[in-house]
Amino acid sequence: MAGLSNLTGLVSEPSGEAESSVSSVSNRSLRLAEKEKKKGEADPFTAAAKYLSQFKAGTTVRGNDELERSILVVETVAVSKGLPPEVITVLLDLALSLNAGTPNCSRILKFLIPATVVPQEAIVKGVSWLCVGKMPMNAQVLFLRWVLTVFDLIDCKDDLRSIYGFIFSFVTEETLCPFICHLLYLLTTREHVHPYRVRKLLDIQAKMGRQPFLTQLLALYKVFRPDLVTLSLPSRARTGFKNHNSTWKVALSAVQRKNKGAVLVDQSLSVDVKEKPSSRKRKRHHLAVPPLSSAFDSNSSKKGLRLQELRSFKELLENIHNIELPAQMGSMLGSTLALHYLDCVQDESAFLRLNFWLGHSLQEEFLLCPVDGSSDNTSEACRFLNTILFSQQFLQEGFSSTESFLYKFLSVWDGSLLRPQILDLLSDIPLMPSFYMNKLLFEPLKQLYFTSTVFFKCSVIECLNSMLVKWLTWHSVSASEGSLDISLNSNSTMTMTLSGFMDSVMELVRFVGLLASEGLRLENCHVLLLNQTLAFYETVCDMFLKYSLPLIIMPPAGVFYPALFAIDSISLDRLGYIMYRYRMNLTLAKQQKQQREQTFHISRNAYKEFNRNLQTMVNSMWNSQWCIPGSDLEINKDLIALSKIAEPWCCFDIIHHPALFSYAIEFHQRCWPERKDVDLGSIKTGKYWNWYMEFLFNQGFDGLNNFIRTNTGHGPSSSSQDDRQPLSQNCH
Amino acid sequence: MFNLLPAFSLGVLLIVMEGRGSAVNTPASRPVTRKSKSYGRSCVEAPSYFWQTPGHLTVLKVPTSRGAAKSQIITNKVDPEHIALLVKNEWKLSYVTPLHHFRHTQLKSYAKHLSAFIVAEKQQGVAVEVGLDAGFKVTFTAVLGLAETDEDAETVFIQIQSKPVFAAAADAPKVVWRGWLTCVNGDPEYLRSLPPDFVSLPLFCTSGPESLTNLVKSWFERAFDCNFGSLALNSSTLNWLAALWTGCHPACNIRYLKLSWSLPTEPPLDVLYTVNPQDAWELWNSIHPQENTDDRIDIKDVQAFMSGMETHFFRHFKIHLSAGTLLKVSTALGSAHHDGKIKIGNSDYITTLLALLTECALLKMPT
Repeated sequence: MAGLSNLTGLVSEPSGEAESSVSSVSNRSLRLAEKEKKKGEADPFTAAAKYLSQFKAGTTVRGNDELERSILVVETVAVSKGLPPEVITVLLDLALSLNAGTPNCSRILKFLIPATVVPQEAIVKGVSWLCVGKMPMNAQVLFLRWVLTVFDLIDCKDDLRSIYGFIFSFVTEETLCPFICHLLYLLTTREHVHPYRVRKLLDIQAKMGRQPFLTQLLALYKVFRPDLVTLSLPSRARTGFKNHNSTWKVALSAVQRKNKGAVLVDQSLSVDVKEKPSSRKRKRHHLAVPPLSSAFDSNSSKKGLRLQELRSFKELLENIHNIELPAQMGSMLGSTLALHYLDCVQDESAFLRLNFWLGHSLQEEFLLCPVDGSSDNTSEACRFLNTILFSQQFLQEGFSSTESFLYKFLSVWDGSLLRPQILDLLSDIPLMPSFYMNKLLFEPLKQLYFTSTVFFKCSVIECLNSMLVKWLTWHSVSASEGSLDISLNSNSTMTMTLSGFMDSVMELVRFVGLLASEGLRLENCHVLLLNQTLAFYETVCDMFLKYSLPLIIMPPAGVFYPALFAIDSISLDRLGYIMYRYRMNLTLAKQQKQQREQTFHISRNAYKEFNRNLQTMVNSMWNSQWCIPGSDLEINKDLIALSKIAEPWCCFDIIHHPALFSYAIEFHQRCWPERKDVDLGSIKTGKYWNWYMEFLFNQGFDGLNNFIRTNTGHGPSSSSQDDRQPLSQNCH
Repeated sequence: MFNLLPAFSLGVLLIVMEGRGSAVNTPASRPVTRKSKSYGRSCVEAPSYFWQTPGHLTVLKVPTSRGAAKSQIITNKVDPEHIALLVKNEWKLSYVTPLHHFRHTQLKSYAKHLSAFIVAEKQQGVAVEVGLDAGFKVTFTAVLGLAETDEDAETVFIQIQSKPVFAAAADAPKVVWRGWLTCVNGDPEYLRSLPPDFVSLPLFCTSGPESLTNLVKSWFERAFDCNFGSLALNSSTLNWLAALWTGCHPACNIRYLKLSWSLPTEPPLDVLYTVNPQDAWELWNSIHPQENTDDRIDIKDVQAFMSGMETHFFRHFKIHLSAGTLLKVSTALGSAHHDGKIKIGNSDYITTLLALLTECALLKMPT
């Protein structure tokens, strides 16, 4: 009767304690305390609760007005505000002991709405009343339904777990069985699963047939002890438990809404242990990620936690030292929690299992039997590849079986089957020695590239760009980590010297340069392709500054000139940005070189090529010249004369450039709105030139802006010691 | 009018000067690890060629010569009762990736689990206690002695008997399914490269209803994290078998050499070509003389043998057999079908056949 004494203590507390502290507090608080006291005495709820707590067995129930009144008072409070834990204990005891009569038992149970939590001992006592066996069946059912409803509000479940055996014994009661199974399902831990319990449940199953509640409980038993029981769930089985909370649902959620901040009861209590339904359509579905399950290895004495038992990242962290790998490694790709764990796994066998599974799935689906109606399987294949992609992006690393699959698949790929997925997988290919790249990657890719549409070409360039970014990121991370401990797992890592890495990067950039220049020629400088190409060179030009890789590779003429003479302003602006970044990178390399003797070097050719491109760009855009002295790029004058263009050398200056022409016209109209004949040459004079520049830069041509600023000393320039003059001063 | 060149050429010059100074230095030789951790083996740097030197796969793996078939009285090594189980049946072939945590000492426990699994799968949604005999009796047997090298794992034979509920006590349980996992003369380099917790039994032969085969496969997949795929026999394998079996004729009468082709005509033409064993042997002997002390047979000999027979056929029927697909080869020693079905006729040559099939299965392993 702990609850009872508790309650009396609580009720009498104001009267006892308030008096002792009277002297020390001020008048005001004295008054308050008295008020409180009065209120306490007058509070009909407290009185009613007190009365009910002292209700003795054998007291007349029928015609007992006070009992009736008290129950009514408590009921009103319960439905509106919920009941405090102590009152719950008292009332549950009163109801289940049947001291207040059988009708009152179910009446009380029905309004037993907790305000905050339900004390565990109340439930334990309730179960003990259940064991006494006096309660009528409907009261027993009601009690169990109530326990299931408030299960999440029970403050602690340790004692409940320790009376698991008592609760289990009711499983043989046919009426109670569904509720008992549900309760057991919520309480079961691995220690509770014993052969005799399994056998008991199987006996009941034999008697009652396949009931969802039994199946669900047995499925949980299988999770904990696969060596004792096995079970396969049909794809369309009704699983999960019914909700038994109908009686209390409305009142409970109303009370909970009112007492916000308190524990919220989860209205759907059943946790799903159901395995994913396997599709019966395919005979052997090698493309499904298997469900998480544990091996039945009976002699495993170490009881690690199974991944499917984990519910949250927090649980994973707390148990990370003690987690068992699943029976099928492939199943880890199905859950993010498992992927987190996979990231920590160091076991070589585990990765081998994963790669066997993955390699087998990919091989069977895409390489060995593409005949059996592969067209209607593409959605399945697509889902599968997306799962792999998701996992690889999650782990920020590609699986080696995907990699080797891709090498084989590229040579038979038609370039259209699941293109986005395949290209994304390609971009995850880790760094490899340049020696292999040509044969494994570039040859098959080249064939596909040159025989496909311009959009495929764009996707390939985009894919290779993303591959390069991943390689560079990897390098910059490992470089900043200093020397990685290679000996740690020397058998699984591949070592490569920095020069080997640079060779690979150079090979990749060279290959894209080739693809891009030929592609642009074939596709008449398609604007999308040009933009993908320039996006690639935006990565390339920043390799030193952004990724600390001392390597500068200039775009080939086949990329540079189409961009310079592009008819869209965006490409031209991008080129300006790229040239600006090249300059920043080269300048930094030069400074580092001067400061300390670096072992790396930027090849002389890079400087030469940069200067040549820079000169060409400036000459054509600012100086209206075409010929570059000393360069091999000269156009026969007679050939140009054939075109019958008046001043061909002006065609690509910053005013007449086809990409900027419309801006020049608009500028002209704004400056001289009344002029009928357009003379763009007048922009070049005096202040109009500065205004035109400003006008252009206000259109968002940041790339060109940066290019002009750095290369003319106009504006903030990082380079010192040069006496460059602002652009405007050079005009006269 | 616009003369911006000086400003630019200055910048240009500046950079050129830097370029001039640098000689071709050796870049820092600090080694760079490809991965901080590898999800699997690197497929580029392979410990052996089975771990794929990519792009070389098909070239490297298929051997171009092998030893001639040798008769050995297998019953001296292996329990004759076990051998009796393997011959006569027709087996459907599959390949299996290496089994993780498979132990030959646990066969009894595997039998219990497999039978419980089959019952549970047959009665969806009904839980089954492991170790309780209900409906199916599964036995796992280790067939000792079939392995040829130390690397080969011992063959495992599985038998499923059904026990009808209403059967009389005297009724013997009926065998409904048989299957075995084997590895004979598996490539030692491949087998050695596996971590010790793997057992490679790459060849899986089954005989019985497809539904049971699928159940057994999915149990293995769940229990040992392995995967199955069907194993078709390409014409090169069938050619090898035709030549190897013909070569046995002097030692053991092969009675006939039957070859069956399918020709891509409209309607398709099936050709069954039965050759007198003596004639076949004489052709073979003329290509690969028996007195040849070197016991190796080269793929060229095999090709010459087959084309000799095709030429002979052409002379009579004016049909180029090489335009079709070889579907089946059979002799008294055994038969093998293109879609992966075999029969073992004579146990004395079982090793040669299984070694060839093990090799086919290993070639299918994902890398």
